[in-house]
Amino acid sequence: MSLTEPKAPSSQRASGSKHHAGRKTPLRIPDVLFTGALAVIAVVFFFPMLWMVFSSFKSNSAIFATPFALPTEIDFGRWVEAFEIGHIGQYALNSIIVTGASVLGILLLGAAAAFAFSRYRFRGRNLLMGLLALGLLLPLQSYFIAQSTMFTQLAITDTRWALIIPYTAMGLPLAVYLLKVYLDAVPNELFEAARIDGASDLRVFGSIALPLLRPGLATVAIFSALSSWNEFLLALLYIQDDALKTIPTGLLAFSSRYVTDYGLLFSALSIVTLPMIVIYIVFNKQIVEGITAGSVK
Amino acid sequence: MAVFGFAVLLPVIMTFAYSFTEWNGYGTMVFVGIDNYVKAANDMLFRDSFVHVLIYIAITIVLEVVVGLVLAGLVSVRRRGSLWFRVAIFTPVMLPMVVVAVLWAFVYNNDFGLLNAALQSMGLGDLQRVWLGDPATALLAVSVVSGWVYAGFYMTIFYAAFNQVPTEVIEAARLDGANEWQLFRRIKVPMIRNAITVALLLCITGGFQGFDLFYVMTNGGPYGATEIPTTYLVKSVFTFQNVGYGSAMAVVLTAVVVALGLVFTRVNREKPEDVRS
Repeated sequence: MSLTEPKAPSSQRASGSKHHAGRKTPLRIPDVLFTGALAVIAVVFFFPMLWMVFSSFKSNSAIFATPFALPTEIDFGRWVEAFEIGHIGQYALNSIIVTGASVLGILLLGAAAAFAFSRYRFRGRNLLMGLLALGLLLPLQSYFIAQSTMFTQLAITDTRWALIIPYTAMGLPLAVYLLKVYLDAVPNELFEAARIDGASDLRVFGSIALPLLRPGLATVAIFSALSSWNEFLLALLYIQDDALKTIPTGLLAFSSRYVTDYGLLFSALSIVTLPMIVIYIVFNKQIVEGITAGSVK
Repeated sequence: MAVFGFAVLLPVIMTFAYSFTEWNGYGTMVFVGIDNYVKAANDMLFRDSFVHVLIYIAITIVLEVVVGLVLAGLVSVRRRGSLWFRVAIFTPVMLPMVVVAVLWAFVYNNDFGLLNAALQSMGLGDLQRVWLGDPATALLAVSVVSGWVYAGFYMTIFYAAFNQVPTEVIEAARLDGANEWQLFRRIKVPMIRNAITVALLLCITGGFQGFDLFYVMTNGGPYGATEIPTTYLVKSVFTFQNVGYGSAMAVVLTAVVVALGLVFTRVNREKPEDVRS
């Protein structure tokens, strides 16, 4: 940006320098150029995805001969083929079940735990909070080895539980932490008033805490849904049965079965990718907020 | 809480316990003390895997955090009309890493890959490589993919942080004649130091936990050039049935990640006291 401007002497601070008096208006890059630069960056970013969609309509020989060319015809036949022989419908269903159950579990347990931590003083509270904070830091690598032998002994590998349980557990620390921040901000009088009116603990939780938590719950739901949907390592280790695989592992199995049918693979990739992009474009504000809040803590 | 205890805490403790044994996953478990740790310390492959992951982290810091910062700086200069750009750059974060990995394996493919074809058409045919098959480029190639995914993510974080810099500060600097680059370098970046620290923490701890890209794109190859601790320990445990040894490596890795996390939280907490310019 500053290439065209002489560099200010390094001794000058941005504040209080009189030497700049002659050039009070900062150099403005022409709007067109600026927008153009952004557009170029965006295109470079998007190009692999465009290439993927274009190639899904091509034959192997066309992919090899003219990698940049637009497809000669838009034929969704390959997509249908990929969807059917790739069991993508089955994988998607598995992903939906696993993700749905995990998110539901995280929301219910997370809200209840956050409510307990925020509103009650009980023995062991600090210890439990400490463990939870540890859970925010612990990497997956610290437990998946023993977890897998445990699940084998309990005979729950190759069931959906083998993914739902760990996904729920992994999502809980952050969920509790975020929801507790929301609840702590609620004035205590609100809860006192409800209790004086004779509401039970459960009632207070259900009728006061939960509705107040709605925005927090939405954030938690978004990032836990995405991380469950995209999780790969555990899905790879715990699920061998093809009928139970989720999208990431299913797609990997598919790509090793049809290694050389590139058009078909590109079709499968496109099928998996496009719905996510559509969802993202529709809900981009909430999703961006959810993901960044989820990781920045 | 019980779910968390059952599925995470208990296995953490058990992994720690396993790390002192020699066990193949079903036979008898033999207590071997710290042998596994001694073995890990002397294991060249394990050491190399740490070197690789450190290189990977260094590259991704540049490609994700620095690029993200610059992009956020660019976007925040002209806020109008930048929404579509931010939406576009953030898109890859949404996709499963496996999808990204398979797609980029195609981009790097030496027969029809986008990258080699692009080099060819620009007359740079000499630069063509078997990107993922060449030990000299494989690690860089994987890091670039990670950069492609997360640059937009960090851009979004920094963009949000830039927007919280009070406009009076920026206006004042502008009146003093600061140009956009000086604004960026001397005002905006120092004022979002907390966000940058968090981003670095995420990038570093995330890097140590990387797995998906490496597993799908190279699985440690070629010739171990992209072997990182996670892929190596998954191999030891699930391919070679060395549960004890794998657990010891997992404990080492965990210790590194948790220690880094604690250091960063401490640094961040001390921040308010030493904010300078």
